Amino acid sequence: MSFLDIDQVSFTFPGWPPVVRSVDWRIAQGEFHCLVGRSGCGKTTLLKLAAGLLHPQAGSIRLQGRPVLAPGPQLGFVFQSPTLLEWHRVIDNVLLPVSLQHKPSADEIDKAQQLLALLGLAGHAQHYPRQLSGGQQSRVALARALILEPSLLLLDEPFAALDAITRGELQDDLLQMCRLRRTTVLFVTHDIAEAVYLGDQVAVMNRGRIVSAIRVEVQRPRAPAMRYGEAFNRHCAQVRDAMDLEAA
Amino acid sequence: MKKASVRARLGAWALLLALLALWELASRASGVSTLVLPPPSAVMKSLWMGLSTGYLWPHIRATGLELLFGLSLGCLIGFASGVVLAESTLLQRLLKPYIVVSQVVPKLALAPLFIVWFGFGMTSTVVITALICFFPLMENTVTSLQQVDPQRLELFRMLGATRRQTLLRLKLPAGLPGILAGLRVAVVLALVGAVVGEFIGASQGLGALIIASQGMMDTPLMFAVLVVIAALGLLLYEITLAVERRLLLPYTRSS
Repeated sequence: MSFLDIDQVSFTFPGWPPVVRSVDWRIAQGEFHCLVGRSGCGKTTLLKLAAGLLHPQAGSIRLQGRPVLAPGPQLGFVFQSPTLLEWHRVIDNVLLPVSLQHKPSADEIDKAQQLLALLGLAGHAQHYPRQLSGGQQSRVALARALILEPSLLLLDEPFAALDAITRGELQDDLLQMCRLRRTTVLFVTHDIAEAVYLGDQVAVMNRGRIVSAIRVEVQRPRAPAMRYGEAFNRHCAQVRDAMDLEAA
Repeated sequence: MKKASVRARLGAWALLLALLALWELASRASGVSTLVLPPPSAVMKSLWMGLSTGYLWPHIRATGLELLFGLSLGCLIGFASGVVLAESTLLQRLLKPYIVVSQVVPKLALAPLFIVWFGFGMTSTVVITALICFFPLMENTVTSLQQVDPQRLELFRMLGATRRQTLLRLKLPAGLPGILAGLRVAVVLALVGAVVGEFIGASQGLGALIIASQGMMDTPLMFAVLVVIAALGLLLYEITLAVERRLLLPYTRSS
């Protein structure tokens, strides 16, 4: 049994052609999977289905054998924009998932501080989101998604708006955080290099279908220097080919 | 930056003094009757007399109280109905036409009716003021609560927030800037409501005093009352602005 099991899932918004068409996908515990595709290919919808924000018209989605019916604390979600609450301090933004359930305990506040420290934001806990740069805001959003220690982390192009250097730093941070916690990850992006750098496995999606699954055989843990290596580029080309093949 | 704003402020005061001086000179040189256009010196004298003899104070107090009650009542009801309408599409569809009709009827045209219902005096004016304040606050509350970023709503759904939590911890704080902008409009309109309400339905208050001074042909007093009304409006507006700035500090502060 896989950790996340997407089985023959289809989804249609009323009055539109199907967005997701009989998709099959499995993620084993602790693996990092990336979903790439052009804009509008249905990858964000698939991610929301996995989160339980949307419900499939056909097929089923199971997390550790149980059907996903509604979002819950077992999964963390990171949106395209940081979606921080600008009237709360950074630390309160990180603690939001906790404070919606109960008043945060001293232990939980400590844990939030540690998460911020791991992400290099120890000095910003008492600041407001507006006082941070875009990259720092994305880090806070990541900390917020990790505070409940979810077993599954879903990310929807979280770094798309950042410059290349900041994005690289955040990718390394994300890999490190997930490796420490053995978090299972599904990461949606349209950036091929990002998908290959982060993923153990890359799924290429086109017009609602997963058209290709590529295992990334690049040494782990990943390091920035690998971005220029031969193996890395070979995988990028492979993903690119899979995308072009479908477009043709 | 700061220097420029100080200079602009000084400039505004200098302009005021220059205009007053020009007015004074013109009204003396032209020989226009004080009944038609009193010179600023006569207005100031009348204002000073009114304040020092205590003649104006009960009227200021009456208008101030009407403003306070009318504003609080109108804003409270406006805010509450804004929240209810924003949260319930059904109620919005059901009630919106009635609310719009109640707002396109000029409130002042209702004043005679209010005098029949609530009597001559403070209550009628408070009701008119409240009715006028109600609309901007309700409109802004509904709009602000419905314009919350869909991704944040999804975030709250992800985190399993209840409807009440979503309202209190997301929609209201996110809509606060818009709601406060509505309050600022309501404050300015409230003064208009209170003064004009007094024209029709009161014997106390600055509006009633304007009508009385017209009857007494005391134009300088009329101008003096206008000065007091302007000062009252300015004071209220500045207080609202200060409250707004204080509340929105986290929203606007950047490094």
